[in-house]
Amino acid sequence: MLNRQVAPPITPIDSIDFIVPQIEEIKKDIPLYWKKDIANETSKIELHFNAGTTVKNPVLASLTAGLLISGTKNKTAVQIQHALDAVGAYYDVSVSQEQAVVSIYALNRYLAQAFDIFQDALKNAIFPENEVAEICNERQEKLKVQLQKVNVLAQRKIQQLLFESTPYAQVIDQSDYSSIRQSDLISFHKENYLNGLAKVFLVGDLSTEDKNAIKDACIQFATEQRKPKESKFLLNSHIFHEEKKDALQAAIRIGKILFNKTHPDFISFSVLNTILGDYFGSRLMSNIREDKGYTYGIGSYLMENTHFGYFMIATEVAKEVREATIQEIKNEIERLQNELVSMEELALVKSYLLGQLLKAADGPYAMLDLFSGVELHGLTISFYNDYIKKVQEISPEEIREMARKHLEWKSLSIISVG
Amino acid sequence: MIHFERFKLANGLTVIFHKEPSTPMAVVNLLYDVGARDENEEKTGFAHLFEHLMFGGSINIPDFDGPLQAAGGESNAFTSNDITNYYDVLPAHNIDTALWLESDRMLSLAFTEKSLEVQRNVVIEEFKQRYLNQPYGDVWLELRPLAYTKHPYKWATIGKEIKHIEDANMSDVKAFFKKHYHPSNCILCIIGNFELETIKEKVNHFFGSIPKGKKSARILPLEPAQSRFKSKTISRNVPADAFYYAFKMPERKHPGYYFADLLSDIMGREKVSKLYVDLIKKQKLVSEINAYITGSMDDGLFIITGKLNEGKTFDALDKAIWKIIAHYQTNLITKKELEQIKIKLRTARAFQDQGLLNRAMNLSFFELLGDANGINEEQEIYQSIHAEELRKFAKQLFAKKNAVLLKVKKKKNA
Repeated sequence: MLNRQVAPPITPIDSIDFIVPQIEEIKKDIPLYWKKDIANETSKIELHFNAGTTVKNPVLASLTAGLLISGTKNKTAVQIQHALDAVGAYYDVSVSQEQAVVSIYALNRYLAQAFDIFQDALKNAIFPENEVAEICNERQEKLKVQLQKVNVLAQRKIQQLLFESTPYAQVIDQSDYSSIRQSDLISFHKENYLNGLAKVFLVGDLSTEDKNAIKDACIQFATEQRKPKESKFLLNSHIFHEEKKDALQAAIRIGKILFNKTHPDFISFSVLNTILGDYFGSRLMSNIREDKGYTYGIGSYLMENTHFGYFMIATEVAKEVREATIQEIKNEIERLQNELVSMEELALVKSYLLGQLLKAADGPYAMLDLFSGVELHGLTISFYNDYIKKVQEISPEEIREMARKHLEWKSLSIISVG
Repeated sequence: MIHFERFKLANGLTVIFHKEPSTPMAVVNLLYDVGARDENEEKTGFAHLFEHLMFGGSINIPDFDGPLQAAGGESNAFTSNDITNYYDVLPAHNIDTALWLESDRMLSLAFTEKSLEVQRNVVIEEFKQRYLNQPYGDVWLELRPLAYTKHPYKWATIGKEIKHIEDANMSDVKAFFKKHYHPSNCILCIIGNFELETIKEKVNHFFGSIPKGKKSARILPLEPAQSRFKSKTISRNVPADAFYYAFKMPERKHPGYYFADLLSDIMGREKVSKLYVDLIKKQKLVSEINAYITGSMDDGLFIITGKLNEGKTFDALDKAIWKIIAHYQTNLITKKELEQIKIKLRTARAFQDQGLLNRAMNLSFFELLGDANGINEEQEIYQSIHAEELRKFAKQLFAKKNAVLLKVKKKKNA
């Protein structure tokens, strides 16, 4: 007879097989990573360029990325798009602070063709005036919508304050679009795309011939490996509130500059971060959503760049409970600094984290993303074995130590808009 | 080809099992055949509020998420106008935990006042965050009652108004559970590296003793055929004038659904579609343009939407839109274009099928439509569509009297 009050036994995860992709060199220090064992016909190429928003300025980075397939001397944007469509390929480009990543998705038998269409468009891009005008118009309109959202305003503000006086502080303003000239785009493209390939990730059961064709074509964009320059942050903490009339909710961002995977505290801090705000049962969710009902969601994150990371708590709450929410966040952080986490809660979080890692390693695409996450920091895949071990071993005392060392309330910047 | 097995328990629970040997994870997906269309017009937003309550503890287990997280898994759910779908993803060796939790909340909830009170607040904040505190956030709250006069699609999943959520009480909650949450109103789909016999045994063990409920007939008010074009203008604090043309399209099981879907792919194509080229590139009327379908079970909507450029008028746009529509009603889509769209569909499908969770949701949804094997047949339906069929379909679909138009006008001082 089934006793529904008794939970079924749980088996913990003690090891995961991490698989390194095949590594080839496009040029010295510019690698191509290929995950070829995949049981279906999907394939993807991801080209990482040193063309992020901090390379020069965000508006230039974002417009250039948006215009990579906007036309050559011989082909219009429409013709290029049609050619990609004819092989059923999807094209996407995303720009982060340090890199621009172009992704092309296609069935494996078409990937080399799709890439060939793209590389020709990229190599010969001329940035036609009408295309530049169109994208500026579209982006300006989108920015107007964005700037009405409290979460966007709060995010921009904390970025400006945390990264003050460094390229990471830059955000796009409406006026930036009016000063853009075609020649700026052409020189940004030349410097950071035609000579800016940093690495290539390839997934798919491709023929060696196709793989080689892609690799050979990549050489033309590979000059030398350039790491982002290290920034010197001021590390001041700020408190800022902007009143927004008519807003129904206030957005809150609380954060500070921290570290990335290369720091010895990274894994321990990640466990602390999960307990605090990075899963559905976290302290912040349990208190501010599930007990008080102040918000639809609240979370905390550790974001990583090449030389640093930053910690952030983000939420949108009913306007009238903005201050109460900030106070509760403070209480939760102080509780982690003053009280030991129970063995039960810690065991749950450990098990959850390892289950999530198992999921993050499931399948060729996921495995390559995991690899990419350590490769960026010059680490090897064995990082994840260390991670498993460290997570299994971490004690309540270490969690408390991490909270005391890295989350001192006075060190956090507190931004709200609404 | 996605292979699956189907079996049914004596209490009416339908189970779909798909074996995937390459993954260490398992997906447990439960589709309940209840959505916002099943709500009382005076108590809207209930199906979705109820979805939140399903995480507030069940009859024998005080906390849903904790044990699942302790098993290394996680869970979430979504509600639409048609269905409520719950899923758990966890390491396969701990699948019992998910089955234990899901079966207990199918048996009965804890129904605590605290959970109801908190989730009412959470959902009200969700209402504000997603629908009220965003530019254009309330468009669907306005467009639905314009397009539907009788059918319950006239309200959004979140509900008509915040008051309906504030007013939800415990007896409503209990009645809703009794009516919709029982084995014969649910499709359970499991994916993982298991043997069929093991799954049968486990499902029987956890779900077999749940009493059979009564699957109630769904009798919804029919939406009368629209007889004339309708439009509405609302004035909002938004940065640009926006427009939403909505055309009534056939229900999910009708062949016309596939025509509408393909046509929306063609018309909504970025950079190259006629809408894009004519309105953005040539006439510079709009800053963005899109076409898509709502994809609902009952008669849905085909939407053409975009934002006007500064200084352009709704009238100029209206002329241009109907001209493009007329193009699709009179001219055949070229063979080349049709081929391109079909191969793009193949690519998209291959990528979708990659994800375990996607597969589980799709298998469950097709089973609800009548047969999970629909997942394997759908591509062929798309691939066999001819240009002439699309032209004919466009002629019916884009009849003016079949359309409504919502205009969102920018307030002067915005």
